Amino acid sequence: MIWLLAAQLVVMLPFLFDLPLWLLPVLVVVAWWRLRVLAGAASQPGNVVKLLLIGLGVGGLLLSGLRFPSLDAMATLLLLGFAFKSLEVVQRRDAIVVIFIGYFLVALHFLYTQSLTAALYGMVSMVVLTGVLVGVQQAITEFSTGQSVRFNLRLAVFMLLQCLPLMMVIFVFAPRIAPLWSIPLASGQTQTGMTDRMAPGDIEKLGKSDELAFRVTFKGKRPAQHELYWQGLVLNHFDGHEWRQFDRDYDVYQLKTALMSHYRWQPERMQVQGNPVAYEAVYETSGQPWLFTLSPAVEVEGDVLRGADYRVMAQEALQAPFLLKAVSYPATQRDVVLPEYLRTLALGLPSTGDQRSRELAQRLRREAGSEQVYIDKVLARFHDLAFEYTLNPPTLGDKDTIDGFLFDSKRGFCAHYAGSFVFLMRAAGIPARVVVGYQGGEWNAAGQYLAVHQYDAHAWTEVWLAGRGWVRVDPTTAVAPSRVEQGLEAAVQAEGSFLADSVLSARKMPWLNGVRQQFDAVQYGWRRWVLGYDREEQAALLKSALGDLSVGKVALFAGGLFAAIGLFWLLALGMAQRRQPEAPEHRLYRRFCEALAKRGARREPGDAPGAFAHQAAEHLPALAEVIREFTQVYEGICYAPPADGRVATRRLKTLLGKIR
Amino acid sequence: MTTAAPQLIQATLAQLNKVIHGKEQQVQLALTCLLANGHLLLEDLPGMGKTTLAHALAHVCGLEYKRVQFTSDLLPADLIGASVFEQQSGRFRFHPGPVFSQVFLADELNRATPKAQSALLEAMEERQVSVDGTTHPLPAPFFVIATQNPQSQSGTFPLPESQLDRFLIRLSLGYPNPEAERALLKGRNGRVLLASMQQVLNESRLKALQSLVPQVKMTDNLLDYVQRLIAYTRQTEVCHLGLSPRGALALVKSAQAWALLQARGHVLPEDVQAVFVAVAGHRIIGRQESQGEQLARQILGKVDVVGGGRG
Repeated sequence: MIWLLAAQLVVMLPFLFDLPLWLLPVLVVVAWWRLRVLAGAASQPGNVVKLLLIGLGVGGLLLSGLRFPSLDAMATLLLLGFAFKSLEVVQRRDAIVVIFIGYFLVALHFLYTQSLTAALYGMVSMVVLTGVLVGVQQAITEFSTGQSVRFNLRLAVFMLLQCLPLMMVIFVFAPRIAPLWSIPLASGQTQTGMTDRMAPGDIEKLGKSDELAFRVTFKGKRPAQHELYWQGLVLNHFDGHEWRQFDRDYDVYQLKTALMSHYRWQPERMQVQGNPVAYEAVYETSGQPWLFTLSPAVEVEGDVLRGADYRVMAQEALQAPFLLKAVSYPATQRDVVLPEYLRTLALGLPSTGDQRSRELAQRLRREAGSEQVYIDKVLARFHDLAFEYTLNPPTLGDKDTIDGFLFDSKRGFCAHYAGSFVFLMRAAGIPARVVVGYQGGEWNAAGQYLAVHQYDAHAWTEVWLAGRGWVRVDPTTAVAPSRVEQGLEAAVQAEGSFLADSVLSARKMPWLNGVRQQFDAVQYGWRRWVLGYDREEQAALLKSALGDLSVGKVALFAGGLFAAIGLFWLLALGMAQRRQPEAPEHRLYRRFCEALAKRGARREPGDAPGAFAHQAAEHLPALAEVIREFTQVYEGICYAPPADGRVATRRLKTLLGKIR
Repeated sequence: MTTAAPQLIQATLAQLNKVIHGKEQQVQLALTCLLANGHLLLEDLPGMGKTTLAHALAHVCGLEYKRVQFTSDLLPADLIGASVFEQQSGRFRFHPGPVFSQVFLADELNRATPKAQSALLEAMEERQVSVDGTTHPLPAPFFVIATQNPQSQSGTFPLPESQLDRFLIRLSLGYPNPEAERALLKGRNGRVLLASMQQVLNESRLKALQSLVPQVKMTDNLLDYVQRLIAYTRQTEVCHLGLSPRGALALVKSAQAWALLQARGHVLPEDVQAVFVAVAGHRIIGRQESQGEQLARQILGKVDVVGGGRG
């Protein structure tokens, strides 16, 4: 029973990361109480205490402010019940109930995280639970506790391994049905990564995080590092302080409506050119719908939204890793003819504020002969006036932030450069917009993929030029070219601020870096091939294996595999139990007995050959001689081996022929 | 000597059968037990000729023979002897008890208290006796024939299973058949006939015969059958207590001795079957109240004689 408690703790442990923290003391107290009960030092709680505990649990649930109904609230309730149940386990039945709830909890935990480690931990939990289930079924243990636990766990592992082939078949074939109802998740779900607004200081925060944003595998050649601009969203509206997508905040549904109406994607406005870059990206759970692609993604596989700014966006905020297959043509010309609506968006500025910057823009534009020259002049200004690229820029206040940056602090992160550059463009009448996303990524040679982390977050700009459409301009390169060539770490190396807050980060230790990359590669494989195995993947796989798909065909194939596995185990078990084949003389003797039985002399199993021969000879006097001789030879072979058994066996055959 | 073994055995059996009428099977089993160097337990009602058989066996083998009537007040010292102070020498001298003999007849073993019983049973197993810290070896051959009344009779102390196990063979003689009884009534009384018995064997001849027993061949096929039998007794739904390895060894040994009695150089399944009830009957205990011997017969009927892997 102490192992039941251990199994319970193993199952409940991972939930502590996702559910209210006050569960921890409850679990500890319950476990302590249970141990005291097992030691005989305390009694199991009476009805009053049980009611009190239930009251406390429900009260705590109400006070913890979880939305009701939500997954968290329900999971917490179940976990409480699971913990309290251990206080009243008396019979085997109770223990089995606890174990079965344990199995359910193992499955439940996958709603919170589907990572590889969680899966492995789930398997460990399954082994422990199954081991305890085995133990509960044993009436008497013949071993010491340690021995029996080892035995039970080994048996559990063996049993679960036997289930593995069936699991595979179910994984591959079970239909991926769209949920009939969606779980009210998200009360505890945090949003990570890129947001849909950019104020000075937002992106530096990401720059200090080494969380993974997404991973990409390229089919074919990998583009150079400085070409990897992963576009997320386009920020058009500036209110003097921060950049947003539109003049007001849209929620996901309003955004979806916009992306389907006036802001919809119009493929005819681009002229596809250049070489394609085909890739698959697996995005981490971010709680946000943004996806990041090399702009423009011309062909996209998957259920996604697309916008007039060539963005690719998920239908829902990502609550699970998301797989996208895309082919981009980075050299494509976009919006050579700019629609009026987009032009308006790309020229909008607040009516007042940042007066010095406006004057600067107009002065420079006047001096420059063309728009291109003007752009170069602005970039050169960043370079010449010794602007500094830093992860720790000074704060700029709420008003005139562009002026503050351009003329006073001159220290900033990519967001500052992108924001002020677009401001200067618009002030000079050139349509421009801020693009946020990620730039670059870390190439994992072990897994042959690119890992893009939060610190790869970046902001750059697009400028619309007549005859060329939208042109990407990254003002950061003017200040810190190494940011784009070698990544953030190199760009801020002198400053030493790269991941300065995460002291224990593995990437600080070169010797661990290889291990980290390997592990990351394994995780990517898990993401891509296990979690990423969705309806389309399934359909593609089945199509490649079975040709044209029909429900009947798939069902037949899956059923066939099931049957094959069942047959295999049956044979394996049968093989283990099948007796050795009988020696030829015994088989001959049995045929001899059958032949005699047909004539009415039946041998009972307990009749020795000699005794039977006697009876049979009496019963069948005509054959008496043959029967006697056959028995004699047979007894000789069996009990007094002759020099040459084969001669005797042949003789048996001849004699048998005579009887027949 | 070897060539003469069958004749010797036949002569011995003939002498025994002269005294015990119509009990060929039991007489053969008794001799089997002697040849296999095991102890014999005769279990029967009073007056069935148990003592006569024991007498006859000792006589025909030319062995020294002692008999003790077991009673409830019998003490271990009465069996194994005691150290007695001798005045002339001024020291203790060990006076060996009746157990120091070649054939020891323990009459009505189950009338004695467990204390006395166990003294004898220990001597049987160890073939030696320890008194006052000195170990005295028993003569060889040492052959115990114990008789006992069925336990339903009043005033008996039943032997526990562990001690029953020390007897190689348990026999009951049963009522004589009508002819044998007629002869008995006509005055051909066993006790009278004992005097007319010839001594066929002597100590050295008996030892020689005993040494022939392990040489009787057993093939893998036969051992397969023996093992099937043993395994069957160990199935819990059949027996409460199956045959122990010692019991299995006893079975094999008896079967060899029986085969020797049949003047055969190898053991046949028939030999195993012939001794099985006598060897296993007192060693297995059924699930229900059924007698071990009945159970042993049932088992013989159920286990297939034929079969086995490539030997």
